[in-house]
Amino acid sequence: MDALRLSGAGRHHEGKPMGGKWIYWFGELGKEAYDSVGKKCANLGELTKIGLRVPPGFAISVDGYRIFMEETGAGEEIKEYVRREFKDTKDVAQELEASKVIRSIIEGKEMPSEMQEELIAHYKKLCEECQQADLSVAVRSSGAVSMPGQMESYLNVKGAQEVVKKVIQVWGSAFTARAISFRFQQGLPIDWAPIGVAVLKMVSAKCAGVVLTVIPTTGDTSKIIIEGNWGLGESVVSGEVNPDSYIVDKETLDVERTVVEKTKMVVYNNKGTILVDIPEEKKRLSILVEEEVQEIARICKEVEKHYGVPQDIEWVIDLDLPFPKNLFFVQARPAKSVQKKENDADYIIDLMTRLFK
Amino acid sequence: MKVYDVVPGLEFNEEDDLQQSPAWFLDATHSVPPWTPMFGWFWINFCRHGMQYGAETLSLPTVKGWDWRFKDGGGYLCLLFVDSDKEKEERQKKFREAIRPFVDNYDGLWGGYVKEMLKRYDQVKALNLDTATNIQLLENFEQVINTCRRMWEIHMHMMYGTYTPYVLFEQLCKQMLNIDDTHPTFQKLVSGFDNESFRVDRRLWEFSKKAKDMGLQDLFMETPAKQIKAKLETSDKGKTFLKEFDQFLDKEAGWRMERMAEINVPTWQEDPTPGFETIKLYMKKGGDFDLDEDRKKAERERKEAEKEVLAKVTQEQKGWFSMLLKVAQNCSRFSEEHNHYLDLYTHALIRRSCMGLGKRWAKAGTIHQPEDIFFLIPDEVRRAGINPDKFNLKPLVERRKKEWQEWGQRGNPPAIMKEGFTLDQAIGGLVQSLDPIALKVVVGSMPVVRTELKADLYGTCGSPGVAEGIARVISRDEDLPQIQKGDILVSASTSPAWTPVFSLINGVVVDRGASLSHAAIVGREYGIPVVMNVFEGTTKIKSGQRIRVDANMGAVYILDK
Repeated sequence: MDALRLSGAGRHHEGKPMGGKWIYWFGELGKEAYDSVGKKCANLGELTKIGLRVPPGFAISVDGYRIFMEETGAGEEIKEYVRREFKDTKDVAQELEASKVIRSIIEGKEMPSEMQEELIAHYKKLCEECQQADLSVAVRSSGAVSMPGQMESYLNVKGAQEVVKKVIQVWGSAFTARAISFRFQQGLPIDWAPIGVAVLKMVSAKCAGVVLTVIPTTGDTSKIIIEGNWGLGESVVSGEVNPDSYIVDKETLDVERTVVEKTKMVVYNNKGTILVDIPEEKKRLSILVEEEVQEIARICKEVEKHYGVPQDIEWVIDLDLPFPKNLFFVQARPAKSVQKKENDADYIIDLMTRLFK
Repeated sequence: MKVYDVVPGLEFNEEDDLQQSPAWFLDATHSVPPWTPMFGWFWINFCRHGMQYGAETLSLPTVKGWDWRFKDGGGYLCLLFVDSDKEKEERQKKFREAIRPFVDNYDGLWGGYVKEMLKRYDQVKALNLDTATNIQLLENFEQVINTCRRMWEIHMHMMYGTYTPYVLFEQLCKQMLNIDDTHPTFQKLVSGFDNESFRVDRRLWEFSKKAKDMGLQDLFMETPAKQIKAKLETSDKGKTFLKEFDQFLDKEAGWRMERMAEINVPTWQEDPTPGFETIKLYMKKGGDFDLDEDRKKAERERKEAEKEVLAKVTQEQKGWFSMLLKVAQNCSRFSEEHNHYLDLYTHALIRRSCMGLGKRWAKAGTIHQPEDIFFLIPDEVRRAGINPDKFNLKPLVERRKKEWQEWGQRGNPPAIMKEGFTLDQAIGGLVQSLDPIALKVVVGSMPVVRTELKADLYGTCGSPGVAEGIARVISRDEDLPQIQKGDILVSASTSPAWTPVFSLINGVVVDRGASLSHAAIVGREYGIPVVMNVFEGTTKIKSGQRIRVDANMGAVYILDK
């Protein structure tokens, strides 16, 4: 086995000493924490900082991963296994086998008691905050680089012991066959994959979607476009459905709404998310009411002002909470510059030329 | 006795010219009443040059611009078509590149041209005509000739370049939204913009308020406009007002004349009477009249119309459609604003230069009075330019003047056609050419006669709305002061210098015009109904009659026959 495929010898002891801080409320984090808690957690922290309501929760940093791996001895076992068994060739069967072995090593360990206590204390506090015993939470992976679909997330997790178990499983999910394969191809260590974990309240989404603070088709920055569908935002983000859209003038706040017939939506089930039919009576209904449109527009204008460039923002509206507490944001990033202007000019010139035929 | 050609090389010659084109149209908007020889020479030479320059620079696929002839003070024109398909194809290729700046950089292009022209104007104005030598005066005149030629190049490049996307936009509106440019929603889309011509009007409105505040209102209302200046000079506050007004003329508005396409009337700078006339008009409007509010209303209506229209196109079309909408709106902005920077300004400077020569020559005995210079043409100016005292051009001026008076009495026919060729055929040819100027300025849409309306005249809608009022038939600029608040203006066509009366009147009826004619554009800006292309408005309607205009339906009713 090539040494490159293994993490460095001293690697496990770099960084903070044992017992250092490894768990943070989102409010304590900002974008500077990318490397320590992963992108997802750092972004949620950043959103909280600029005053956006995000689903309440906390983050476990990569130090948490490190402490767990070291104190339980799982780290050494994995390293040993990889050194012994992992051949330096691209082999799917080998990746599947390694994933099975490594994940069972991790999941077979108990979380060290001190660590467990601190994690449970955070969960309890979250339950108190949301005024709900055994609060339903999502336990999600939060990598420093985005590796979509490689790691797992667990939804509808209830009770302290379940949370502890799922956090360990998320760490284990850094060793899915796909993640191993990815690291192999990138020339990264196979045996060492520190990731952050986010534990946050499950939002039961009435409706969700995205906001762009620039009209992507025209490059017009004087308007905001809100798009959304019933259920979770995935159906809108993936572009699978034709969503309702609300174009809001940033200055006058006039709204130009386009309510379409919506047929499918994405909802949670026990295992994850599924696409289901929208009930007949909701198909032609506008997913947002005026005050919600205005509130989303107002906040997104602020976010854009904070960052200074047009934003691409994901929002979700909770089914149970009252307005405006029901509005949550889960993502904000610079809008991809969809500059279609050039093409539009070409198209107009085409039409003009044809005029003379 | 021989009278020399006024526009050598471009005098109308029936035999040859009807061979070239079976129909020639009179430019009634600009050359009625007939031009003086000097102005006719400038217009025929350089408007003609500009149109061909513009069409060629843009490589318009189907037309090469227009040809012009001079006949008895009238300008006659016909189109120059591209004949072969092969040539059309080649021109299309170049056209694609040439038109691009109008789609993506209108402001840069037009802004650059404005700057260039203002620089030229400053150079021409720099010469003190009273102290200049004869050689300098002649040189100044030559500079003005070049300035005028350049002005028309820019004018027509811009006009063709903005009108072409406008025509496209209108066609698409017809196809996609079922509205054409005589539809009220369409017209709201292309109005409600601020521009330089309008800013002059606003300043005059401000002066009317100022005069009131200074206690000068009675003086203005009771004194004929022609005598206001002298009256103001008799009091201290009058002098204060006049000082500020002179500055305004000097810096902003002095370089214009009542008739846009002629140079034989004084500029505002020489005689501010028209400015005072306008101030009086605004005073007549009364204290609660708010010009800015009018403007804001037009702007609001435009934004509503934009929303309405954009809601009707699909999401995929929105991007380019709203871009094209902006380009078409630029066309409307250009149409109204260019007069200020181009025609009016240049023509005022031609007059200035001519009057400099005229005064010198009248003293030298070359001609009787300074204004006689307008009966000469540039070649004759050159003849006597350096040594005016050695030449007697009085007999030539007399013959030309006599001729010019006859032109005015006789009038020019609206079209000259080959035998057997009909007006319908001629207009059909113009429409088929797809020349945007032919479509949007010269021809316009033909009125639909809706007999069920039982109207007295049928035209097309230039600006939406319905109004009733006393008809005021105006054929000459001097008659403008007759207009009373609430009147309906009836005329052959209107010109930019008439703009201020639009804030006073309730509606307009014009014999000829299309959606980009002056009356239509300004009517939309002021939110009053305009019916155009009624052809016989000035002959059928009498001043003082009560009439009703329904521009939405293109109908005019004479209420007391």
